[in-house]
Amino acid sequence: MVVNTETIAGKVITQNLGVVGGSTVRAKHIGKDIFAGLKNVVGGELTAYTELLEESRTEAIARMVADAAARGANAVVNVRFATSAVTGGASELFAYGTAVTVE
Amino acid sequence: MRSIDARVGTLTTSVLMLVLLFSGVAMAQADEAPKEDLSFILLCVGPFLLIALGFAVFGILWAIFYPILFLYGVIFSERNLNKRMSGLVLRESASIEHFGKDPLSTLKGSHIVGGIKETGLVYASIVFSPSHWQLMIAWINQIFGGRIDVLHRVISVGRAEAKQRLREQAQAAGWDDVLNVRIDTAEMTPASKPKGTRAVEVFAYGTGVKFG
Repeated sequence: MVVNTETIAGKVITQNLGVVGGSTVRAKHIGKDIFAGLKNVVGGELTAYTELLEESRTEAIARMVADAAARGANAVVNVRFATSAVTGGASELFAYGTAVTVE
Repeated sequence: MRSIDARVGTLTTSVLMLVLLFSGVAMAQADEAPKEDLSFILLCVGPFLLIALGFAVFGILWAIFYPILFLYGVIFSERNLNKRMSGLVLRESASIEHFGKDPLSTLKGSHIVGGIKETGLVYASIVFSPSHWQLMIAWINQIFGGRIDVLHRVISVGRAEAKQRLREQAQAAGWDDVLNVRIDTAEMTPASKPKGTRAVEVFAYGTGVKFG
């Protein structure tokens, strides 16, 4: 269970297992970069980059959940996201939260 | 300890490859040095020539297509923005009709009386960019200072789109309400690279809940 609220409704947090996080850096291949550069001239949504961020977000969340599971948690609460641009066309995504056990 | 093993492995492989490369070059020099024929020189310079050719072709194509794309932006970027905005209004009213109200809120859920059966994370994002024409107008506006309406409009359309996608995600996952919504805006290109893709990334996330 992954939520970004401090508690999970209807459940009681029994144990706090510390901060867990997962991050990833991904990029699209150069063809998509060039196409996005062309699309940038016209303006509007850059679909390749939206896809890229969606993929990396899913991966970061999966890593965070794996980290939490390794600590024996069954839920992650108060999840937050941070994004940074390492270089043009690549994105670093970081998801973090508190691993807890709930009943 | 596995990572150290992996590093040692990588190091050994690269040292072996370097030794192979140097011995190959040395042998080739010993054999071929007296008669430096054209094919050997071509083999050495060939890859660089190919890369240079690629750059040249790309540059020529860019020089031809950039003005066309720019002109397209001049004529259509405002219209596309308005079209997207009016489409958004329709989609928004459709999802408000589905939920009975706007599902997104920044409340933490203590106001819910009936109890919550199930919770989970919902997120949606979009990368949205102004056209180069709009950037140029913004640059002209910057000289005089004050409001820059062009960029404001582009970013608010992007943000509205991200929010609408969050509503649609919630609808697809079957949530009744989305609590503690946060909206983050990040830039795709680092500030140290002034000549990159100019785009903003809007990311909306929240906790979907199902009422008990």
